[in-house]
Amino acid sequence: MADTPDGGESLDIVLDVDLSKRTSELADENLALLDAHGVTAIDVLGSVGSGKTTLIMGMVAALKQRRRIAVIAGDITTRIDAGRIEAEGVPVLQIQTGGACHLDANLVRTALGRLDLDSIDLLIIENVGNLICPAGFPIGAHQRLVVLSVTEGPYMAIKHPVMVRQADVAVINKIDLAEAMEVSVEQLAADVRSVNPEIEVVATCARAGQGIDDVIAALGL
Amino acid sequence: MHDVTAAQQIARQVLVTAQEQGAGRVERISLALGAMTMLDPESLEFWLEQILRGTIAEGAQVRIEVLPLRVRCNACGFEGEAPVPDDPIYHLMPFVPACPECGAQGLEVLGGGECIVESIRVQRAEVGSADG
Ligand SMILES: Nc1nc2c(ncn2[C@@H]2O[C@H](COP(=O)(O)OP(=O)(O)O)[C@@H](O)[C@H]2O)c(=O)[nH]1
Ligand SMILES: [Mg+2]
Ligand SMILES: [Zn+2]
Repeated sequence: MADTPDGGESLDIVLDVDLSKRTSELADENLALLDAHGVTAIDVLGSVGSGKTTLIMGMVAALKQRRRIAVIAGDITTRIDAGRIEAEGVPVLQIQTGGACHLDANLVRTALGRLDLDSIDLLIIENVGNLICPAGFPIGAHQRLVVLSVTEGPYMAIKHPVMVRQADVAVINKIDLAEAMEVSVEQLAADVRSVNPEIEVVATCARAGQGIDDVIAALGL
Repeated sequence: MHDVTAAQQIARQVLVTAQEQGAGRVERISLALGAMTMLDPESLEFWLEQILRGTIAEGAQVRIEVLPLRVRCNACGFEGEAPVPDDPIYHLMPFVPACPECGAQGLEVLGGGECIVESIRVQRAEVGSADG
């Protein structure tokens, strides 16, 4: 205790709370909740415009006959992507992060509370379009799918090693544009594997539905 | 950037604790940040000040200690601190740490990701006489 200039009594309170641990604890709690309801969750990451929403629409179209799916759309401020996915006829919950550059476990926990987890068995979560910050924020998903597209240039994998290393499956999207972009899909795939030797790499043209089945197989869905 | 999110979480933690302890004011907030958090101490301090305006922690002094990246190398057995670049680019492009001894990548990270609220110094709500 120490005296303050205005005569009040000061007191030091030790908290010693590691908020980064709290983040992973919350993520673990989300996973436990999903497991308790038999729901598999996939966290889909990638830059804005890489094709996350298009890919998710394709996956939903291919899977909705045999899986009970819901989608969480993380977006900074708009409902555009949520509306696009809803057109596939599955429930979509929008999380507006209000400017935050990633979803976090707490936002996802709130979203899980609003979903009827007993009526689904697959949850696809579109993270905010950003390859940097979400790497530090596990949200509690069973697998992470990272979407890179050839229009982002040839160095995406090398530029984002942390994210690529944390992902289970990497999609190289927009391969229809590879030639025009002068990007080698093989080289990009090799870069991805050099950063993360265990990752599954799938080349897609999500807009045409090409490669979607391979993505589904890579995720074991 | 996520400095804002971190500042919000820290502010919540500080205010809840201060309230539980019946504090009238928060005078000081002591934090420890891992070198790998991608949080910028200056920016974090700025956002904390903004968020705490109008609360009992407005104007509190913010102390930030930076904790080193600590790694274990499975290639050569090195265990200890590894340098983190002091480069603004690092905030845009996370780097992959290499072993300071043998250069190997794929290290086990033992520490450096922390975002710890260590302690707060508060003033009691009912200020007694200064006989402390
Ligand atoms: N040429 C081409 N365009 C694509 C492909 N996949 C998505 N797109 C387009 O890329 C744009 C951004 O896609 P979107 O799914 O919204 O990306 P998101 O921001 O990652 O969700 C849209 O205009 C899509 O039609 C593809 O495989 N090839
Ligand atoms: Mg989208
Ligand atoms: Zn080594």
